[in-house]
Amino acid sequence: MSNKEKKEFSRIKEVESTNLARDEIRDEVIETKKAVEKENDQLASRVHQNFLDNNIKSFDIVGAIGSGKTALLERIAEKLSPKFRMLVICGDITTRVDADRIEKHNTETIQINTGRECALNAYHIHQIIKNKDLQNYDIIFIENVGNLICPSEFILGTDKRITVVSITEGEWVIEKHPMLFKMSDIAVINKIDLKERLGTNIEKMIADAKRFNPKIEVITTSAKTGENIDNLLKLLGF
Amino acid sequence: MNEELTKIEQIIINPKAIKKSDVQDLMKTFFAKLKNRIENYVGDYPTFIEPVYLEDNVKIGDDVLLGPNVYVGINSEIRDYVEISNTIIFDNVKVGKNFKLENCIVAKNSSFNFTDLNIKNNLLMGVANLKTELENYGL
Repeated sequence: MSNKEKKEFSRIKEVESTNLARDEIRDEVIETKKAVEKENDQLASRVHQNFLDNNIKSFDIVGAIGSGKTALLERIAEKLSPKFRMLVICGDITTRVDADRIEKHNTETIQINTGRECALNAYHIHQIIKNKDLQNYDIIFIENVGNLICPSEFILGTDKRITVVSITEGEWVIEKHPMLFKMSDIAVINKIDLKERLGTNIEKMIADAKRFNPKIEVITTSAKTGENIDNLLKLLGF
Repeated sequence: MNEELTKIEQIIINPKAIKKSDVQDLMKTFFAKLKNRIENYVGDYPTFIEPVYLEDNVKIGDDVLLGPNVYVGINSEIRDYVEISNTIIFDNVKVGKNFKLENCIVAKNSSFNFTDLNIKNNLLMGVANLKTELENYGL
């Protein structure tokens, strides 16, 4: 392979569509994409085993920007950190804003700035936990980059995946993003305190989530008022 | 933080006489204290896994992953497709393209002008235009 081809090839590793690849390298691009997905899944398995070996309960939280992932984690940290040793790994393109917020609730945080990568992957998590003594933690939460699409391509090795949407995103948000709900264990419909003002069809949202994934648990919450946070914690097993 | 860095810099002046356990202990202490400083590099948007500490005027290329536990000295340059973790890079260093460094130290004023290197637990120094010219010592 020439240097030019190598460069194009490594760029296309991250590109969503093999349609962008020239005909001559299309097959190699497809094989590379498959290999990358498989490697992520295998690494995620090893990450998960690591958590299990250290008796750690682990969750990753995905959702669009502004859906309330961090606010929910603040509430969760507030309730759980007095009883459990928590680590929260936060993913964002830039800034440390989310990690700073969660840290105030007596929880260790690590920020990953993903730059041009649109989601966290198992390698990021593996690189972090490699340097940590996991005996020091009971619970690990991973807050993914604000994005309802890319995270569906990368499992992270946690016990459960939680997808958060808020009623401010409108009642079509779940139907428009089926992939994440198909692979999630819990769907949180947040900002329920705005229900009357917005008139969003929450029943449709719940029905859509269950239609894509009959096993998914759905819960409505308000991170702002604290509504149903205790029930969310019960769903997480606390 | 500066204390450990200065000690490491002193030790690597004489690479053949390095006591590996001393360097490893110093690196461990250094990284335990390391804070994030990533606001002021020149470049696009790398991936950072904290802590990563960049001195002034560090240039970073495309598709770079830095961290966790990375220190980069002043005026150093990290080229495209580089991944660095648990590593100290001193001042005025040029690294890349397509380098993967883990648990390494790169001495100041080093310059590596070839592509494709995957190396762990090594001290790298000097100027090398070819991989065969690389001067390195196990840590």
